Amino acid sequence: MATATDVKKRMVRINGCVASAQAAKYADVDVIAAYPIRPYTATMMALAQMVANGELDAEYIVADSEHSQLSISHGASSSGARVFTGSSGVGVQFAYELYSPISGSRMPVQMMIADRTLDPPGDFGSEHTDALSTRDMGWLMGWSCDAQEAFDNHLMAYRVGEDPRVLLPQMVCQDGFFVSHITGDVELPDTGQVREFLPPYKHPYPLDPRHPVSHGPQIMPEQGPPLQLERARAMEGSMPVIEEVHEEFAKIFGRKYDPWLEEFMTDDAEVVFFLQGAHAVTARFAIKHMRDRGMKVGMVRLRTIRPYPTERVRQALSKFKVVGVIETNMGLGSVSSGGVLYSEVCAALYESERKPLVVSFMAGMGGEAIVLKEFYWMTEKMLEAQKRGKIEKRTHWVGFEH
Amino acid sequence: MSTKGTQIPEWLKVPFAGITPAPTQEKGQDLFPTGNWRSIRPVYRDKLPPCNNACGTNEKIQGYLDLVKRGKYLDAYALIKEDMPFPSVTGRVCYHPCEQACNRGKYDEAISIRAVERFLGDLGQALAKDVVKPGKPNGKKVAVVGSGPAGHSAAYQLARLGYAVTIFEKSPKAGGLNRGGIPDWVLPQDVLDREIERLVELGITIKTNVEVGKDVTWDQLKKDFDACVLAVGLIDPQSVRAEGEDKPGVHYGLPFLRDIGMGTSKLKLGSRVAVIGGGNTAIDCAREALRQGAVEVTMITVEANPQEMPASPEDLHDMLEEGVELMHGRAVTAVLGNGRIAALQLHPARFSGAINASPINVDKEAKPERFPVDNVIIAVGQRASLQWLPDEFKTERGTIKIDPFGRLGDTNFFAAGDVVQLGSGQPLMVVNAVGDGKRVAFNLDKVMRGEKLEPRTIPVDVIFDLNRMNMTYFPHFPRVKQELLPPTSRRKTQEEVIQAYTEEQAVEEANRCFSCGTCNACDNCYLVCPEPCIVRDVRSNGLYKILVDYCKGCRVCIEECPTGCLEGVPELDFETGVVRMDTAFAISPGLHGRQAEELKHLDERAAKNI
Repeated sequence: MATATDVKKRMVRINGCVASAQAAKYADVDVIAAYPIRPYTATMMALAQMVANGELDAEYIVADSEHSQLSISHGASSSGARVFTGSSGVGVQFAYELYSPISGSRMPVQMMIADRTLDPPGDFGSEHTDALSTRDMGWLMGWSCDAQEAFDNHLMAYRVGEDPRVLLPQMVCQDGFFVSHITGDVELPDTGQVREFLPPYKHPYPLDPRHPVSHGPQIMPEQGPPLQLERARAMEGSMPVIEEVHEEFAKIFGRKYDPWLEEFMTDDAEVVFFLQGAHAVTARFAIKHMRDRGMKVGMVRLRTIRPYPTERVRQALSKFKVVGVIETNMGLGSVSSGGVLYSEVCAALYESERKPLVVSFMAGMGGEAIVLKEFYWMTEKMLEAQKRGKIEKRTHWVGFEH
Repeated sequence: MSTKGTQIPEWLKVPFAGITPAPTQEKGQDLFPTGNWRSIRPVYRDKLPPCNNACGTNEKIQGYLDLVKRGKYLDAYALIKEDMPFPSVTGRVCYHPCEQACNRGKYDEAISIRAVERFLGDLGQALAKDVVKPGKPNGKKVAVVGSGPAGHSAAYQLARLGYAVTIFEKSPKAGGLNRGGIPDWVLPQDVLDREIERLVELGITIKTNVEVGKDVTWDQLKKDFDACVLAVGLIDPQSVRAEGEDKPGVHYGLPFLRDIGMGTSKLKLGSRVAVIGGGNTAIDCAREALRQGAVEVTMITVEANPQEMPASPEDLHDMLEEGVELMHGRAVTAVLGNGRIAALQLHPARFSGAINASPINVDKEAKPERFPVDNVIIAVGQRASLQWLPDEFKTERGTIKIDPFGRLGDTNFFAAGDVVQLGSGQPLMVVNAVGDGKRVAFNLDKVMRGEKLEPRTIPVDVIFDLNRMNMTYFPHFPRVKQELLPPTSRRKTQEEVIQAYTEEQAVEEANRCFSCGTCNACDNCYLVCPEPCIVRDVRSNGLYKILVDYCKGCRVCIEECPTGCLEGVPELDFETGVVRMDTAFAISPGLHGRQAEELKHLDERAAKNI
């Protein structure tokens, strides 16, 4: 058995897009369905080069739209191929019709998302709304905060999604620009490690002329609910598999991730940020700085939002006084009238005996960086609420208030 | 865990992610009966093709063209023979109303149906034994007076129904108008002879040289036979009531043709011949005159132009090609000459009302025209010779009085053909007489069996509108032309002018048929059905079967049916054979019981070792 120490690994300095492309290459994907849209395009550019150079033996299909991209992916996966696709922003939306059919037919298609704000106007910046709007379509989903994590998440997602106990598609998300276009050190593994970790994809009922089956036939109305129940079971059933896979990943590759939450300086923290993705990197720095000034602040980063780790979130957050949710997404007219993460957090805490105060920050919108000054401002807001024992208001639009 | 403790009842269990065994050709999609989604059901409903509808005897034209397409010539011949005793004759002489009605005529050119019919007729002629058999004898005797098209047809159908039939024919040879009214170069004698032989093969007795009223009387017919069909035709020629019409050298159309046809003609024509009349017989006379030695033949008509002439345009064209001249808008008022004909006196004339259906107005005030001729052939129609018929059955227009079923009062006498159709609006054509003979034979049979005669009330649906078919499937393709003898050589011989199709030509032409409104097993519905809901191994409604448990009524087959045979019928018109819409949400567990069995087999199909 290969271990983390005796294999040929190499360090490279690449951005998130290229890290995703490398992951697809290491996963030895069979079919790539591409259609350009910034910022994820760089991934497909890198893959096109790999295929052209003979580094990767895959069908590289340039679709005529994102809808076709996902349709191609659906069909290719049905035939038993390991499929890689991706998109950003409105591209993610254009393919919306396919998300439920793909998870409903239990095809473990993998889709890379480099976030982009939805229009208006045409804004290239990152915002999680594109992928988050599909969060209930039966896809496994989570955010990476840097290129290395993106690389690793792709491999782990394939392993989870293709597990016969799961068989669900996966969205492996990274923030546009902050991850997709910022280079970082990435350890590329030995192919033997990947072979050991990720066996070839095998669907139990692929489309195969030698064993003909029908995929997606029309059914009677009362036959629909059992299928939905099966899909719900698969989503819930993926949770232990996700944990197993993270364990095994750590054993083989030497990097150990908590599958659900990353906790940073939370041991004695009284107020914490709750967020997903790349802004965690800035948050860590800000927290260290504020710690130096005696503020008991920490961070909890959600790594997997679907399936949503309700119990873990409740346990983790119950021990704090104030939770500040950094949204980076739009939930217009939602519970907090801000983003959608707030309600996910509050719902998880509802059954807790010790409920922290929860406040939502609309920050990092439209691809704006959340600067240190804003982290300090948000921390102040949380500490004030802690002192007061009451939040000032549910949602703050950071940068627009005093 | 929300799904903890959930259970799916056995009867609702679905395969993994709804993945099911593949549908099969035999059973279609055996899971998930989706027929109750349907609001429109595709139904194969054959229409009456316009050709069949237009045919005087309603030959199943589309049917035999379809069989010819498939090389099933004998079956095609047998199908034609259901309605037509002598396709070899009508394949040559018919004025083919079918081709005028043919929908392909609106698209490029009508199907040359007559040529295919002749191909089949000639095939039948070559058979040692005909495919048609006499019916089981029923012990009843029927007399048929006249062996022309109507008599021939009636006798033929009656023999097939099991009657002992005797035909009485006045002339020395059977055939009636087929023999006496149609020249050899249209219908050779031996072709007709063979068809007459076929009647004898069916057990029919033909007595020639027997004239009704003279050799056999009304009372004898009544006494010696259970029933009788009078198909005596129109024998006496109409006069033009011109001065000097009784001069030698004046001939009448039908007797002129008949004597040549019977081989009893002794006449010699001069070099200049005038033919009076504008119909088909007049055309035949003019063309025959050329073949009898005339050099200049002129046709003189009251009709003001060729379009008004009640003649087949094809025959008119062929006649003009042979060199016959036309002279319009004139009537013969006197035949001039001292002893022999020297000239005709002509006056301007026109119909007083409708063309060919009103008295002629002759302008006697105008200056007469002198038209020098050696002979004149008058072909302006015939009338019946009915001295032998009891007065009660005579009509004012000199025909036999019948009820709508061809019956004379409540007697067992029936009449058919020209002798009843003259002036009825029906064209006096061979095929119409054949149809009349056929219908009268079946009516007679009903009366003999004590059944009530009732008019047919079933409405027929005929496709006249090309939009009811899917024309994308029919590329434009020209009609296969029949060869004709060159005009210069044919005008002096008795050889057939129009040449027969070869087998290849017949198939090529039959292939052009749209099969308007009729399923011809083209397989298109079978191929376009997005789900295998149409099967062809088990055929029920038409040539295919629709699996109503699964057909969702998407209409693709209906839209893509080339011939317009498939129709969408509202589901609520049906009582049975479908999971009704109102049961969609209360379906019985039984339907899903079938799934359980399939599910067991699905496991065997799963990939192993995953």
